[in-house]
Amino acid sequence: MGGMPGEAKLSHTAAMILQAIHAGQIYGFSVMAMTGLPSGTVYPAMRRLERDGLIVSKWEQQSIADAEQRPPRKYYRLTRTGKATLEAVYKRYPLLEKMIPSPEMDRV
Amino acid sequence: MTRRPLDSLATAIVIAAAQLVPRGARSDWIAEWRGELWHTVHQASGEICELAGMTPLRFSMGAMQDAFWLRTDCISGWAAHALRRGSVARCTIVLLSLAILGLIVCLVLPRSRTALFANLYPDARELVVLSSKGQEGTQTPSIHLAEYREWATDTAGLFSQIAFYHPAISPLHLAHHATPELSVIVGSSNLLHLLGAMQPGDRTARSQETGRLFLSRSAWQRWYRSDPAIFGRRAEVTGQAVVIAGVIPDSEWHLPGRADAWLLEDAAGLNRLAPNAKGFVIARIRDSAFPPPRAGWRWMVQMRHGKLYRYACISLASVSLQPVGEFLMALLLAVLALPATTALPLGDYPLSREPLRRWLIARRWLFLGSKFLLVAMIVFLWSTALAFASQPANLSDAAGIEALAAFLPLLIGFRWVLQDQRKRCPVCLCLLSNPARVGQPSCNFLGWSGTELICISGHGLLHIPELPTSWFATQRWLCLDPSWHCLFAEAAATSPESA
Repeated sequence: MGGMPGEAKLSHTAAMILQAIHAGQIYGFSVMAMTGLPSGTVYPAMRRLERDGLIVSKWEQQSIADAEQRPPRKYYRLTRTGKATLEAVYKRYPLLEKMIPSPEMDRV
Repeated sequence: MTRRPLDSLATAIVIAAAQLVPRGARSDWIAEWRGELWHTVHQASGEICELAGMTPLRFSMGAMQDAFWLRTDCISGWAAHALRRGSVARCTIVLLSLAILGLIVCLVLPRSRTALFANLYPDARELVVLSSKGQEGTQTPSIHLAEYREWATDTAGLFSQIAFYHPAISPLHLAHHATPELSVIVGSSNLLHLLGAMQPGDRTARSQETGRLFLSRSAWQRWYRSDPAIFGRRAEVTGQAVVIAGVIPDSEWHLPGRADAWLLEDAAGLNRLAPNAKGFVIARIRDSAFPPPRAGWRWMVQMRHGKLYRYACISLASVSLQPVGEFLMALLLAVLALPATTALPLGDYPLSREPLRRWLIARRWLFLGSKFLLVAMIVFLWSTALAFASQPANLSDAAGIEALAAFLPLLIGFRWVLQDQRKRCPVCLCLLSNPARVGQPSCNFLGWSGTELICISGHGLLHIPELPTSWFATQRWLCLDPSWHCLFAEAAATSPESA
C-alpha cells in the first residue's frame, strides 16, 4: 500500500473501513457495526491503515469516560493522506460512497 | 448488571491474546480491546450488536487475529531491519550461501566429491607405493619393469601382493573408424584387484583372458554411448587386440596417472612394453612383515646380488591427493602473507561511560571468527571444485591447482574480513555509514584529520586518522550516550528490544 497520497491500492475491505471512519464511525466497534465485518478483520486492518499513515488514533479523555462510568475508548480519524487516498479510492470503488454515506453526502 | 461466564471467557481470551502483542504496545492494546469489549458486553442486547451479529465471545475471538497480526508485522519489521545492508545477518547469510553453493558444486562434480568424501581405498593403510627415489618417485613413473620383476620375487616375505602399472597414451580403434586417444593404464593383471577397485566375484574378473580392457565410466559413456552390450567385444589398443572386460567408476582411481581405461596384462603381456618403459609399483604389506607406514613412509634396505639396494615404502594415503593438506599449506602461506597486505589491529575501542557488556565483546569476536571460518570454508570448497573440475593429467597437477586456487582468494578473503570488521559498530556490528571528512591535513598539529563514520543505530562514531600520529595512531571509536538516541529514532523503533 505504501501510504502514498492519491494511490488507490486499498483492498475493498480497507476502503470500506476507511470510508466508515470518514463517515463518523470513529471506534472499532462502530466500524464493525457499520461495515458488518468481524472484529478479526476490522482491527488488524485499522492497524495497517494507521501504520501507513492513513488514519491516526487518539485516546479519549479519561474524565469523559469516568463521567460515563466506562473504560476510555480509542478513536480514529482520517489524516490528510487518508482523505486524499479515499478520494482516489472512490474512482476504483464508485459504490463505496453510496454504501456508507459520508457527512458531506448527507448534507447534499 | 452481573457478569456472565461467557463475558469472563471473552475477557480471558483478550488477555491471553495480549501475550502475542509486542511488549511495548501491549498495555495500550489491552486497554483498547477491554474498552471495546465493555461496549460489546453492555450493548449485547442492543440493536447495534444485532446488526453486526456480534456476541462478546465472537468479538473477543478477533483479538487473537489482531494480536497475531501485530506480532507478525513486528517480526517482519525486525527481519527487514536485521537483513538491511551491512547487517550481521546479511553478511552471514551471503557467506553461508557461498559456502553452501561451493559444497553443492563439489557434490555435483564426481572427482571433487570423491576427493572430499570418498574413502581412498578400502584398506589403504596396508597399501604402499614402492619407489627408489623416496617421495619424489611417487608422482612420475620411476620404476623399470625389470626392477618390478625383481622386487616381486625378492620381497615376497614383505608383501602379499605386488602390482605394476605404466601410464600410456594410445588410440582406441572403434568399429565406426573413430580412433580417440585414450590415457591407458597398462598394468599387471592383479592391479585393480589389489586396489579393491574390482571385487574377486565380479563377472568381468573371472575372465582370465590376456589383454583385458576396463573402461572408465566416463570413457564408456563418451565413446560407447553407455552401450551395455560391449562386454566381451574386441577392441584395439596399444597396438594389440584386447577384450573389453568391464567398466569402472572414475572415482575408483586415486593414483598418479590419468586413466580412461586400464589394460591388464599377464607377465607375458607386460613384456610387450618397451624395455625402458617406467611405471609405478603398488604393494600390499603382509600382516607379519612390519607395521604399515600409515600416512608416512620408510626406507627399506635389501641385499641383491651382493649389492645393497634402498627403496621407500610410501603409504598410499600420502601419495594420493588430499585436498585438505594442500589447502592447509595455502592457508598457512596466506596467514603469513596477510600482515603485508593490511594492518592487523582492529582499532581502539575504549570503554565509554556505558561500557560494552561482555557478551557484546564476545559476540564481536565470535562474528570475526565465524567470518574467518566461513571465508576459509568457501575458498576450500571452491578451490577443490576448481582443481577437480577438469580432469588433471596427474594428481600433482590437481594439487598445484588446489594450492594456487586457494592461496590468493584466502589472502584477499582474510584481508576483507579484517577491513570489514574495522568498519563495523562494536555494539550492533552493522557496517558504519555516512563517511565524512574531518579536519585538514595541514592543521594536523591542532586537531586530527581523517574520516568519520557513523553508526545509523546511534551507538557511536568511528574516527579514522588520515595521517597516523603519535597521539592518534589508529582508528578510534567514540561511544554516544543515550541522550543522542532521539536522533536515531528510526533505528531504535525497529530494534529487537522493542518487541
